[in-house]
Amino acid sequence: MSKQIPFQIRDEALQAFQSASSTQELYNFKVKYLGKTGALTEVMKIMATLPKEDKPAFGQVVNQVKTALEEKYLEIELLLKNKEIDSQMLSQKLDLSFPTAGREQGKEHPIYKVTNEIFSIMARIGYSLRTGSLIEKDYYNFEALNIPPNHPARDMQDTFFVDETHVLRTHTSPIQIHSLENEKPPLRIIGTGPVFRCDSDVSHLPNFHQIEGMCVDEKVSMSDLKGTISFFVREFFGAGLKTRFRPSFFPFTEPSAEVDCSCPICKGKGCSMCKQTGWIEIGGCGLINPKVFEHARVEYPKWQGFAFGFGVERMAIIKYGVDDIRLFPANDIRFLKQF
Amino acid sequence: MKISLKWLNDFVDVSKFLSAPQELADILTKAGLEVEEIQNLAKDYACVVVGHIVSKEKHPNADKLSLCQVDIGGGLIVQIVCGAQNHKAGDKVIAALAGAVLPGNFVIKKSKIRDCESNGMLCSYKELGLADSSDGIAILDPIAKTGQSFAEFGGYDDVTFELKVTPNRADCLSHFGLARELGCLLGKPVKTPEILTKFSDGKTKQKIKLQVLNNELCPRYCGRYISGVKIGPSPEWLKSRLQSIGMNSINNVVDVTNYVMLEMGQPLHAFDADLIAGAEVIVRSAHPQEQFKTLKDQEITLSGEELVICDAQKPVALAGVIGGLNSGVSDATKNIFLESAFFNAMSVRKSSRTHGVETDSAYRFSRGVDPSSTANIMDRAALLIQQVAGGEVYGDAYDINSGLQVKNPIRISIKTVSERLGYEADEKLFLNYMKGLQIKVESLPNSEYMMTPPIFRFDIERDMDLVEEYARLHGYEHIQEKIPALKAEPAPHNAEYLLNQKVSQFIRAEGFNQAFNYAFTSGTLESAFISDLVKLKNQGLQTDEQAIKIRNPLSEELNVMRRVLSLGLWRNTLDNIRAGNQNGALFEIGNVFTKSTTAYHEHSRLALVDWGESIGIYAGAALPVHTIKSSIEKLFQSLQISAYSFVSLSEAPSFLHLGQWAQVIVEGKAVGFVGSVHPRYLDDEKIRVPVAIAELDLQQILKGQPRPVKFKSLSKFQPAVRDFAFVMQSNKAVGDLLKDAKKSCGSSLKELTVFDIYEGDKLPIGQKSVALRAVFQATEVALSEADLVQLSQKLIESAKKSVDASLR
Repeated sequence: MSKQIPFQIRDEALQAFQSASSTQELYNFKVKYLGKTGALTEVMKIMATLPKEDKPAFGQVVNQVKTALEEKYLEIELLLKNKEIDSQMLSQKLDLSFPTAGREQGKEHPIYKVTNEIFSIMARIGYSLRTGSLIEKDYYNFEALNIPPNHPARDMQDTFFVDETHVLRTHTSPIQIHSLENEKPPLRIIGTGPVFRCDSDVSHLPNFHQIEGMCVDEKVSMSDLKGTISFFVREFFGAGLKTRFRPSFFPFTEPSAEVDCSCPICKGKGCSMCKQTGWIEIGGCGLINPKVFEHARVEYPKWQGFAFGFGVERMAIIKYGVDDIRLFPANDIRFLKQF
Repeated sequence: MKISLKWLNDFVDVSKFLSAPQELADILTKAGLEVEEIQNLAKDYACVVVGHIVSKEKHPNADKLSLCQVDIGGGLIVQIVCGAQNHKAGDKVIAALAGAVLPGNFVIKKSKIRDCESNGMLCSYKELGLADSSDGIAILDPIAKTGQSFAEFGGYDDVTFELKVTPNRADCLSHFGLARELGCLLGKPVKTPEILTKFSDGKTKQKIKLQVLNNELCPRYCGRYISGVKIGPSPEWLKSRLQSIGMNSINNVVDVTNYVMLEMGQPLHAFDADLIAGAEVIVRSAHPQEQFKTLKDQEITLSGEELVICDAQKPVALAGVIGGLNSGVSDATKNIFLESAFFNAMSVRKSSRTHGVETDSAYRFSRGVDPSSTANIMDRAALLIQQVAGGEVYGDAYDINSGLQVKNPIRISIKTVSERLGYEADEKLFLNYMKGLQIKVESLPNSEYMMTPPIFRFDIERDMDLVEEYARLHGYEHIQEKIPALKAEPAPHNAEYLLNQKVSQFIRAEGFNQAFNYAFTSGTLESAFISDLVKLKNQGLQTDEQAIKIRNPLSEELNVMRRVLSLGLWRNTLDNIRAGNQNGALFEIGNVFTKSTTAYHEHSRLALVDWGESIGIYAGAALPVHTIKSSIEKLFQSLQISAYSFVSLSEAPSFLHLGQWAQVIVEGKAVGFVGSVHPRYLDDEKIRVPVAIAELDLQQILKGQPRPVKFKSLSKFQPAVRDFAFVMQSNKAVGDLLKDAKKSCGSSLKELTVFDIYEGDKLPIGQKSVALRAVFQATEVALSEADLVQLSQKLIESAKKSVDASLR
């Protein structure tokens, strides 16, 4: 008869545990049934009244009940605790849709974004970046590039003069000469930076940017040049674009070519960017003129080479569809934030 | 250069392209002679015909108007009201009928003029865009065919090309030159123009004495005397040829010299022989300070370097550039001395550039004319002058030829062509092309050749030039694509560029947008902005007294190389605020310029600007000057620079707020400034929001970058935290307290931060309380209580010593 009492306590306690709505209430029930003066502790007192032979079995039962209740307690406590944390979290809800104080990430100027993109494409095929002075000796800007004084080729580049012998460089090509003079071939160089021409209208800035490449090696052909530029065009504007060479003239290359690529905007179908031709002019190139090697004292034809150059603003205009070149030096943050 | 297809057709058969000009344009463009524009002239004269005035009566309602019945062919007679006075019944005239669109987009319609019907307009050359001025309407030669379209009658049923001739192809700067090129491209024969071969018994040399004193600048000079010419208007064919390519008719003789230049590429000059003083022509260098008046009435002071053509008294032409006002052909001219010469290209270009006289003649001479045809072309002109102006062409012409350069033969093998183009060149094709270009070919063994280019191809000098000729004539589309193998290790990139990129990336993450400003600026504006130069230089920013001037600036707005970046960003800020961008931040990495006695120097700078006020719930956020300063500090940390400070000891740059600025010091060196913009600068520009600017010497900051990283072991011991409250004078800098405390406590002081600043009722006026939290921790040992007491004491003592702060 008395053997049944632990089980009665167990059932009662279990029911109580189940009914608990908070960890605190649950704990109170734990004290009530399992505490120092709890029901199960009290029941041990019955054991003293039992015959000796019944004592072990009774004790075992009480212990079993105790273990079972403790396990159940932990189980229910975990459930209740999780519920309580959940509701606590809901009460701490933040509106994360709320705009954050502080500033947005600043953007890279499109000119430098394009420059760096081209730089990283060319770096993949072994080109090393070079820069140079903006105030350049007339010799490096012209003569070393096979543009002698009073040569009509100078008309192609309206020049700002600083003094008798110094100009604001009209192109990044002097970088090539410095490289040829100071480094030993084979060379793969990408030169970039601001350049200057006395020309300012809706489609020209007097201070703009160029990026150009030069490769000097033992055997260099027009095919190497075309392959390199085609690789660049596909990497920069997207796969599937074609490259076309047209004969042209630059004093520092021979043969020389203008480079067109199929229009990245309309993919060659014809649009306003390519003036309905499907092709868009992106730069000039050619095999390095032997006279340039002569000036730089590089042995020719042991060493041969090619060079190419692009206008960075033009590349940005084509790539992003910028409709006014004058936006580049205006630095309006509404413009800059788009890149 | 404008090219007329009909004119071209005189020398090479391009007739089939008149109806398909795009095809011819493509052929030329593909060969490197880019056609930029095609113009169909006939379209401009649609509905314009030759009319015959059958009768002319006075307009019933207007005194100055006449009523003409005009036969326009096909049996049609229409009534046209005309305001001109120079026509009469029986005249052949030019009638623009309804539907015609004349230059200036003038649309001709049927209309009523003072109640009389008018079916068109009788035109003057001016109205047709063919002359700058006209006296009344054009009266045509009576033989003009009534009803013929005017385009056909005047030879305007033509197509013109705007051709872009690169500086190396001077040989294509004429119709004949281009025809010669097309002969090769199309594989067609080329006709040479007719020249005068029979001359009178009169002797040029008896009429005019000629001396060439400077053979170097004038290697060849030909001259011929022509007497008894009759100056007058040119015949229609000559006028229309010139007009078709946009050149106005002047008089018959001048028109011929222009015509022959456009036809053959050789500039010519006709002097009025009777105005040549002493009947003597001298070709010599100018005397310094010599005066010369051009036929365009421009007064020129010669430097002495120019080549001039003189008579016994004075210069009569600036050689190759322009003739003089004193010796040109006029209506009164009867006898002429015709000059055809070969002048040094560079000398002509220099004369033209120095004096700002740009002419078609100088353009051609400076690119190079054919020195082997000087005499022939003179006689081409003589023929035409005789045809259009009559006269007697004298024999015994001058041809002073000091020996012309010969073209050296070039040795080339077909292998070179293949190698440099990267594809197998066809030997037969190669030889064909070379012969087509009038290159003399001599075979050597093993597919090698000696090739001598014609003298007019200045651009062909060595084997690579021949490689280009092959590539261009064969077509660049044959060039294959391949990526060259990389046989050597790539060289390192320019280190400064990479570091600048790193700084740029970091500053962008701080919320600054990258700006680009011109490297030149307005000298006046910059000087006003900098104001007191010394105050700027004191910030460690090297700045010259005078900015480097550009000799030929585009405008006063862009006339010097910049000395600071701040001005550019300040002006960007003004533009942004005016465009409605009330908040924003920009930075620029760029060069400023200085000059020493021997060279120009470029210094890399970083400048930042931040403007605008936080509003509403974000109000109270840091001022722009704080934002910039914080970003600079973080930049230094990212660069592993720990020894930096912001101090305001020297005087502020003129454009900064006296109370809100600091000099930036890195490792003991001033490297720039940060500060709010001076209130007066804001006021002058009516700016109502705070603006802060910083400019730093980037080269100095990036010295020794990237810094090597040295690992220090982590302490295993618990840190001890102690708080201190000091009272000090308000005008003392907390930064000094921190700096000295760190120095005196050494490496055991891990962190020292300010957690409160108080000024107010509970303190005497002029004092502030500063609460600091120090974190002590040693790497090797646990700090004992005694150690901590000692460290605290050190900190307190240093505070006393440094800024006279005492514990509160």
